[in-house]
Order: sequence, then structure tokens, then C-alpha cells
Amino acid sequence: MKGLFPLFLGLFGTFAFSWVGLTLIPNYQIGHLDPQSDEEGTDVYPLPKSGMAERGRRVYTANGCFYCHSRWVRADYAGSDIERKWGDRRSAPRDYIFDRPVLLGKMRTGPDLSNIGQRAPLEDENAAPAASPPPAAAGAPAASPSAAAAAGSPASPPTGAAAGSKAPPTAAGPSASPAAGANSPAASAPASNTAQAPSAKSSLGSENKPNEAPVYSAAWHHRHLYAPRSISTDSNMPAYKFLYEKRPIGGQTSADALKLTGSDAPPAGSEIVPTYEARCLVAFLMSLNESHPLNETKSAFGAPAPPAAAAPAASPAASAAAPPAK
Amino acid sequence: MDAAEIPLKAPELATEVSLSDIEPIERALIDASTRVPVLMFYTSAIAWLLIGTLLAMLVSFKMHAPDLLANVSFLTWGRLRPAHVNIMIYGWASMAGMGTAIWLMARLCRTVLRHPLLLMAGAGFWNLGILIGVGAILAGESTGYQWLEFPPYAALILFVAYTLIMSWAVLMFRFRRGEQIYITQWYLLGAFLWFPWLYSAAQLMLFVVPVQGVLQAAVGWWYANNLLFLWFGAIGLGTAYYMIPKVIGRPVYSYHLATIGFWTYALFSSWTGMQRMVDGPFPAWMVTASIAATILTIIPVATVGLNHHMTMQGYFPLLRYSPTLRFTVFGAISYTIFSLLGVLLSLRSVDRYLSFTQASIAYTHLGLYAFVTMIIFGSMYYIVPRLVGREWRYASLIKLHFWASVYGVGLMALMLLAAAIVQGVELNDATLVFNESTQSILPYLRGRSLAGLLMTAAHFIFAFHFGLMLFGLGRTATVPTFLNPVEDEDENSEAHL
Repeated sequence: MKGLFPLFLGLFGTFAFSWVGLTLIPNYQIGHLDPQSDEEGTDVYPLPKSGMAERGRRVYTANGCFYCHSRWVRADYAGSDIERKWGDRRSAPRDYIFDRPVLLGKMRTGPDLSNIGQRAPLEDENAAPAASPPPAAAGAPAASPSAAAAAGSPASPPTGAAAGSKAPPTAAGPSASPAAGANSPAASAPASNTAQAPSAKSSLGSENKPNEAPVYSAAWHHRHLYAPRSISTDSNMPAYKFLYEKRPIGGQTSADALKLTGSDAPPAGSEIVPTYEARCLVAFLMSLNESHPLNETKSAFGAPAPPAAAAPAASPAASAAAPPAK
Repeated sequence: MDAAEIPLKAPELATEVSLSDIEPIERALIDASTRVPVLMFYTSAIAWLLIGTLLAMLVSFKMHAPDLLANVSFLTWGRLRPAHVNIMIYGWASMAGMGTAIWLMARLCRTVLRHPLLLMAGAGFWNLGILIGVGAILAGESTGYQWLEFPPYAALILFVAYTLIMSWAVLMFRFRRGEQIYITQWYLLGAFLWFPWLYSAAQLMLFVVPVQGVLQAAVGWWYANNLLFLWFGAIGLGTAYYMIPKVIGRPVYSYHLATIGFWTYALFSSWTGMQRMVDGPFPAWMVTASIAATILTIIPVATVGLNHHMTMQGYFPLLRYSPTLRFTVFGAISYTIFSLLGVLLSLRSVDRYLSFTQASIAYTHLGLYAFVTMIIFGSMYYIVPRLVGREWRYASLIKLHFWASVYGVGLMALMLLAAAIVQGVELNDATLVFNESTQSILPYLRGRSLAGLLMTAAHFIFAFHFGLMLFGLGRTATVPTFLNPVEDEDENSEAHL
């Protein structure tokens, strides 16, 4: 090759082409999206996360959760994500406009978490320990039994992906689904009692699903983070015990102490409580919810999710931070 | 001999001799001028390689033994993994690659290295940046962008270091002799210009004036793939273009092919970033453009591969003797395999199954290890003896290193690809519970750990051998260390210049 000038020009040009093409033009196209709202400007999505959930994002990032858990749902023609109930529509750029860093992830060594917060029960923190899972035998779902009972089908506890068994279609789905639309007023009041929890869940779990997901309460998350294999024996997730504290019980057991059994249980006289970081992380996890319909994507099963589903996006974080007085 | 004859014959001889005799001396002078900085880069790189390898073993074992050392915050899997990756990228591959690039540039510009202090300061700062960055990751300060986990303050140190190294490169080009710019120099110049642009653009768009939402991921993957292709890949290919013809003592088969290969490489591989996010939350044209670009990288792969093959034609028996050639040719072949696997993985029909599986780990290791690292190993086997004035002591250790690396990375790629197929098929079958997909790949992950053990052995053997060279314990000999005893003297005395 003769001369330095054409070489430099070529090196410069090829790279500029890629830079402009793959970063600047997309930035012009989708780099300045606004939240979507209806005509009255009331039903706004997405909303920024609460302070505690934002802090939880830092914990999520620091511990590399996103190396195993993706956070994007592919369209129904491009994979089984929607069939797996990881979402009821594909993810769109607008879902992430407040995310920094955006943690899409590239691996699914663990399940996708785009909508993990959607399955959170609408219960306040104080009620959670009361309805907390029983000592889990191998593969037992960690859903709150009272919630399942309230759905009107006591014989069919939700059996989830975490349960480690091939679950037949449960009766809970069909029986709960009619309530999905009707229950939106209740769901929009975040401090409603535990009995309303399944109706919020059922916006995700409508007809015929083999993998009815468990309800992921804050207590469930804490226990799962502290001892993953106490909930699902064949889980491959590392434990995050360093996010929890062991301390002696002073007088009465703390409200947020983890309910642990077997080898994970602390010695008598002491209890395991989440640190502030752990509570932030759980607030973040419970804020992950992309179920709100977007105009640019079609939701699965034709019908859009009830508008009330937007409420859990903000509320669990808030309720985790400061339990409502009710 | 009669004294009177000397002045009559001497002038004639002097002119004849000057070309063939001065060149080796000149080369030796250039080599000597690069000795300290290049060895500094190499030594740091090998130290990082060992640390990164040990971390890799932990990461790999934790994949099938999640409770191993899990209760310490800085040893949790999600922190060790980015620490390993960043050490390998910036500590090992970048530093070793820069070391090789410096030496090659000095040789090809036919000029002694000026201002070695600049380079040494650069290497020092670079090490400091990695040390701080890795410390930050382990302390939980990761930024959350893959391959850019170093927090901005560590990245800034890396950038300062890079500026020092870069300013040296400009100086060297300024003082080069001869008009011809060899193929290797295209690649190296490209790498040296692209990297700072790439790095600063990514830092600016992610941290200084952050782009919105998913575009961060787009910038992140644009960065990661360009780092792989335009920084590591360019250094690797440039080195192969120097080493193969040099060792076999024969010019490159075709300059035209090399030109086509270079420009199509620069043009297409820089567009492949979004290939990792097929069907993701992006405008479809971005992903489609990247898939198209990935498919088009077949052109540079074919031309470069053909060029190397035709250059080697008839000289393949030399692989029996020369360590450099053996490593380099293995790397060049891996470049083809790596690129073709990339094409395969980017296709929508395949990606649907393999998108979220171990396949991306296999792909990255084929690129960074089987292709780039092996070529760098090859170049080190060539360059280090010229810097320390000794030859490698044990042919057996080189052979062990080669085979442990080859079997290691080969087994690893096979295990991960097999795991990926199993995992992908099971993930895509919504009637299976999720845990099925992670449980059934455990045997493959154990196999991967075994492969990792082989590679660990290879690296420690190499580091030991390098240490011997560094402390002057190499062989003092006029011929290089051959892998096998040479029967045919003529062929090789000519070949190993």
C-alpha cells in the first residue's frame, strides 16, 4: 500500500461508519423516548423506580446477577419466553428508558427476571411473615398458602418453575382468571389485604399454563437469596449469605427475620435478618414489571393486561421501604 | 595473505556485504532498543494471565458447585466472573498484544525505539488501572456493562496509560524508514487508532453523557465486539501476517488478497455488535444489519485464510519444528473457526435456540483464546529470545504448553457448545421446567472445568519457561529451539531467520 494518507482515511472512515451506524443513528431514532400515557395523562408507563429499588439496582449490578439472569422477553415467534410466562408481551425500548445501567443480560443460566415483580403479592410487609411459606419440603412451592386458598381452589397450590417438577395445568389459573379484569380497583390499592393477592397475580397467569408461577413475596426472595436450595433443591444459584446478618434475638423475633429450617436455620437464640442492601435488592426485584401494555408491541393472548398491573411496579418498592400503616 | 591485496578487494566487498551484513546488526540494535519495554509488557501480561487463570478456575468450578466460597462478598460468582474477564482482556491479551505490536512496529518501521520511558510509564499506568479496576469490581463497584466493568476512575487511568503508549506509536511512525507499509502495519495502525476511539466513545456514551435505556446495551455490545475484532483481532491477524512468512522465509502469497481481506475486515466486523442481541428490544434494522455484517465477515475470513494457506503451501512440514509457526498457524485456523461459528450463532433460526446459552462463552473463548492468545503465544516464542539473547531452554515444555492449550481450548469449546445445544433445546421447550435446562448441562460444565485445568497447566508451564528466559537461564546457542530434532539442516537454516 502506498502512502499513509489513504490508509488513515480508510481506517477512519470504516470505523466512523460503524460508530455512526450502530450508535449515533439509533440514538437519534430511539434515544429520546418519553413514557407512554393515555389521553388524560393518568396511566403513565414506565415510571422511575423508588429510591430503594434504585439502590437495589446497584446491589444487583455489583453482585453480577445479570450475568445469569436476562431481563428481556423475546416476541412469541422468536422463542418460548412468553410461553414460559416470563412476560405477556415482548420487551420494547420504552420499557428501559429509566434504566441506568440497563441490565439486559446475555445468559439464562437463571430464569428471565423481566416480570418477576409482577407476581408479587399485594400485601404489606407485616402480613408477609404470617402468610409465609411452610417449611418447604423438596420442590414444594413457596407460594403463600393463604393466597392459594383465597383463589377458591385449595386443592391446587401453584406449582412453579422453581418447584422442580413437571406441573400439570393447575385449576388455579382458570378459576382465578375471571377475577383479573374485575379486580382492578382492589389491585390499585396496594395496601389491600392478602386475600387479594392472587387476583393481581392472575393478570399474568391466565389460561392453560403448565408453569403456574409461585407468588414471589419479599419473604420468598429473602429466603431464596439466603439459601436458594432450601426453596428449590436443584437450584444452581449461589447463596448470598453475605447480604444477611446473624444476630441474637433480643426479646422478640424481628418481623423481618428469615423463616429457615434444617441446616440453614440459625442456632437457637439467634436470627437471620436482611441487611439494608438485601432489602434494597428485593425492592428492586419486586419492582421489575413490564406487564403494562405498550402501544408499539402487542401483548400475548390478544387481550391487554389490566391497567391495574401498573400499580405493583411502584408499590412493592414503596411498601418494602415503609410498610403502609393499614 | 598478501597485505597489498586487501585495499584492492575491500571496497568491493564492503558494498556487497553492507546489505546482507548490516541488516542483521541493524535488526539486533532495534531489538535491543525494545528490550526493556517489551519485556515489561510481557512480564505484566503473564502475571495477569496467571491471576486470570486462577480466577477462571474458580468461576468454572462455581458453575457446578455454587456453594464453593460463596459466603464472602468479594468471592461471589458474580464478582469473580467480571474480574476474570477484565483481567484477561486488559491484563493479558491487551498487554501481551501491545508488547508484540511494539516490537513488530519497531522492526517494520526499521527504526530504533525512541523514548522507551514513555512506554514504560504507559505500561505502569496500565497495570495500575487494571489493579484499581479489578479491586473495584471485587468490592462491588462494577458498572454493569460487560467488558466495561471498570468504574470510570479506573478507565481514566487506562486511558492515560494508553495515551502514553499511543504517543510513542506516532513518534515511531514519524521516524520510520522506507515508503512501503507492510500488511502487519495496516492492522497494527488500525488497532492503535481504533482502540482509543472505541474506548473513549463507549466511556462517553455510557458514563459522561449517558444514552437512554437500551442504547446503553447497544453501545456496550458495539464496544465489546469491536474490541474483540478491531483491537484483539487486528493485533492477532497483523502478527500472523508477520510471523508466518518470516518463519518459513517466504513472502506473503498475495498482496491483493491481503488488501481485500483487510478492508472487508475493517468494514464488516465493526458492524457485528448487535449480533449478540438478536430479537432483543431494539429496532429490528440494527440487529439485521449486524447479522448481515456478520455473514459478510466470511469474505475477510476466506481471503485471509486462503492467503495464509497459499503462503504455507509446501511448508507445512515446518510445523514439526518451529514453535512460533505451530502456535501461529493454530491461531490462524482458529480465526476461521471462530468467525464461522459467529456467523452460525448470529442466524435468527440458530440464535433462537442458542441465544441465552453457553454458546456465547464458547464463541468468546474461541476468539480470545484459540485465535488471539495462541497467536500471541507464538509471537512470544519468536520475540523473547531476540530480546534476552538466549534460546528457549526446553523443547519439551513448549510442546507441553502447546498441547495442553490446544486440548484445553478444544475441549472447552466442544463442552460448551454441546452444553449450549442441550440447554437451548430445553429452554425452548416450555413444557420443561426451567431448572431442567441448568441441571442437564452440569456434566458439560464439569468437563469445561477439566479443560480449564489443562489450560491452567499450560499457562503455568509457559510462565515458568518465560521466567527462565527472563533470568538469563535460556540456552546460549545460535540456532533456535526446535520442537523436534532437525534432520534436514539446509531447509531450516534458511527458514529460521
